[in-house]
Amino acid sequence: MAMHPMEQFEVKPLIEHPLFQIAHHPIYFTNQSLLMCIVVAAASLFLTLAVSGRRLVPSRMQSMAEVSYEFVANIIHSSAGEDGLKFFPFVFTLFIFVLFCNFFGMVPGSFTVTSQIAVTFALAAFVVLMVIIVGFMKHGLGFLKLFVPKAPIYLLFLLVPIEVISFLTRPISLSVRLFANMLAGHTMLAVFAGFVVMLGSAGGVLSVLSIAPMFLIVAIMLLEFLVAFLQAYVFAILTCIYLNEALHLHDHH
Amino acid sequence: MSDTGPDDLKRLGARLEQVQQRKQSATQAPPTQMGIAFRFATELVAALVVGGAMGWGLDWLFGHFGFHTKPWLMIVFFLLGAAAGIRNVMRAANELNAQMAASNAPSVPNDEEN
Repeated sequence: MAMHPMEQFEVKPLIEHPLFQIAHHPIYFTNQSLLMCIVVAAASLFLTLAVSGRRLVPSRMQSMAEVSYEFVANIIHSSAGEDGLKFFPFVFTLFIFVLFCNFFGMVPGSFTVTSQIAVTFALAAFVVLMVIIVGFMKHGLGFLKLFVPKAPIYLLFLLVPIEVISFLTRPISLSVRLFANMLAGHTMLAVFAGFVVMLGSAGGVLSVLSIAPMFLIVAIMLLEFLVAFLQAYVFAILTCIYLNEALHLHDHH
Repeated sequence: MSDTGPDDLKRLGARLEQVQQRKQSATQAPPTQMGIAFRFATELVAALVVGGAMGWGLDWLFGHFGFHTKPWLMIVFFLLGAAAGIRNVMRAANELNAQMAASNAPSVPNDEEN
């Protein structure tokens, strides 16, 4: 067949020559870098232009920006409490970046940055690293109490490793969830699109049937828009939950 | 109306708060069934992977110092990883319960409430 469903996830350099080298590894400007640049530019343009009017009665653009601001502020407030709001810039940037990456990936022919585990894992590792740093800064060595559940002492030698492993799974489950959702959705779209082409070129009655997967694609497309938003939301809310644990240790139980 | 006492104001305040709360729980999108299932699956598998990898890494490390623990730490940590996975899923279920209780949706019954 003309197109392989996984072809859309291929990272390829756009400029022949590597931009620079890090420890003898050539660093290329790829289609992924291009999409990331577009996403960052679009997000900053949207947010700065939307609020530049500073109207008391907001225009449409401005109220979109305000709604996204309040949405994230609400997430943080409800899951990390009042002092979680200090981390608003961090969580908001993460949310907007993931959301825009997901939505720009929905444009046919573009590239989904968040379908690369390298990208999502970097984001998730960044979140967990910050949680650890915040925890140690706030509680000092008392942060290690996070790994000591309330239990009889003779059980602790078993429970502490379990808690440590459970903590270390966070970057993995956080990144795998985002990456796998985007990968699965876009692969599904490509597979059904392949059906349209195959049925259409089969000739006869089968050509007429090719309209059926076409409708299915429209439906899946709508679902994918929902998933694109939901995954950005889940990423933000889990970041807040982890932050909450670093800020308040066990007292949320 | 001239007889607007502080009681009326309080009642208005309470009603406003109710509306606000309803609005807030509406903006918190309830996770889809697929999302929940996917979350539990990744939590479980990720813990197994981390546990296994940790054990393997420790075996490798100890091997360098002349202790031949080769398969055993990996086996032990794989089992610990399985336990951590179950712990993660329990925690995720509790979070979901709290989230759903907050949005007034029927929650998964939990007979281990604290």
